[in-house]
Amino acid sequence: MSMTKKTQDELDRWSKEVKRGAVTLAILSLLSKKRAYGYEVVKLLDAKMKFLALEQGTVYPLLRRLEKRELLKSEWDYEDPAKAKKYYTVTQEGLKALGAMTQTWSVLSREMREVVNEVE
Amino acid sequence: MSSNDPLKLIEQYLDRVRVYLPLDSEDAIVELQTHLIEESERIGEGTMTAGSAMMAIERMGEPKSVANEYAGSGKKVGPVPAEYVNPVIRIIVVIVGIAAAFVIGASMLGVTLTQLLGTDIQNWPVSILIIIFLNIFIIIAIIGIISMFDREKPLTDKTTLETIFGLGVEGFKPKGRLDALGDLIMGIFWGILLMLPGMVVLYTTEFVNVYLLVVIFLFMGAIRGALFFVGGENNFNLAIEGILGIVWIAFAIVLFNIGWPLEDVYVYADGSWQIFPIIDFFQTPEILLSPLDWIWAVIMFVTVVVSVWRIIVSTMKITMYLRAGKAIWWQGNWGERRSLRTPLWKRILGEHDQFQKKEAEYYDGNTESEESQ
Repeated sequence: MSMTKKTQDELDRWSKEVKRGAVTLAILSLLSKKRAYGYEVVKLLDAKMKFLALEQGTVYPLLRRLEKRELLKSEWDYEDPAKAKKYYTVTQEGLKALGAMTQTWSVLSREMREVVNEVE
Repeated sequence: MSSNDPLKLIEQYLDRVRVYLPLDSEDAIVELQTHLIEESERIGEGTMTAGSAMMAIERMGEPKSVANEYAGSGKKVGPVPAEYVNPVIRIIVVIVGIAAAFVIGASMLGVTLTQLLGTDIQNWPVSILIIIFLNIFIIIAIIGIISMFDREKPLTDKTTLETIFGLGVEGFKPKGRLDALGDLIMGIFWGILLMLPGMVVLYTTEFVNVYLLVVIFLFMGAIRGALFFVGGENNFNLAIEGILGIVWIAFAIVLFNIGWPLEDVYVYADGSWQIFPIIDFFQTPEILLSPLDWIWAVIMFVTVVVSVWRIIVSTMKITMYLRAGKAIWWQGNWGERRSLRTPLWKRILGEHDQFQKKEAEYYDGNTESEESQ
């Protein structure tokens, strides 16, 4: 079944809203397993989460915002001066937030599955 | 104009992003630079070419949007769209700062604003508002027309508007390390020179009373140079620069009133150095104001303008760094931009950058220039 323009617009709008919430959880989860610098995070998100498919320029500001909110901390690595890398790791505060978000996400996805199944 | 050098393309693109970012965003630029280099290498399967760099840049997106996401301004200030808030504020500060510096310098010389503008202002204050609005309208119209010709430019080429906004970035660039070294050397050189007995005999009676203060000031300027050379731009050095600026303005008022400081000068005549009474030479009844007084006034004016500008910039930057949570002293930056390319002197000595080496390791026989054609 082909999608009309209106349906496509609605899907785009909805996807954007879902992504906005999901990407913080995704980044915190990825970085809780191992530290990574901006480009690595972009590539990890690209490889593991096709749905998120974020604009490359938007991942960096998000990392910066999470750092400002003290959920992430960073450390510069100048080993290669032309390609200085800012490594991000999750803070204690970030881990607590991640735990709470993961729990909420599990409940939400279970409930959503049930609701959607009922409708189908 | 677009280049075939991938590193230059990345630098040009980042220069465009820099225009829209706040002053303290060098970290963001470095992060984006690393991303673009790694993405270009990935696209080029290990080799960075002009084509792969352009693709990486295009994937990153419009400099305005990237910077706006980074700066997180996301709000309008009056009629100014979010992405233009930073550059517009910066260029306004530059213009107001330069105007303030000139007005203070001119008022020191006793020149009034109306003399400066060449006419008396009629119908105050309505005429001023009308002039401002008319000028803003004309500027917007001109920029709008010029911008129409920029639409086809590649992502790495600055638009006309960005070139204008770029002046704001240049105005706030940290002091270069070589400039700081120059301040140090010249401060010591001039300080010692002014103290030499052979120089002191040339001074006017009034200047003899104050020349040691000038010497102390020059040595303090040298210390400021040394501090910037060692520590780059940080709050301590900026505070020193601001304080020295204030001291100089106060001091310049005294010096300006003292007038031309040299009673005599050395001239070489008849095979030897002789003392020539320069003030007496210019003191003729026909000359109302000696050219020496004019020269002195111009020198004082320029130094005051520079000092006012330094005070404005130091104050702004200290506020900015304090807001960013910085303390008093840290290893700051210098004004020289880190170039990704190998400097000319290294290339002459046969040293190449890591990217060129990498190209040699991975390449399959074609040259970069061949591929980009």
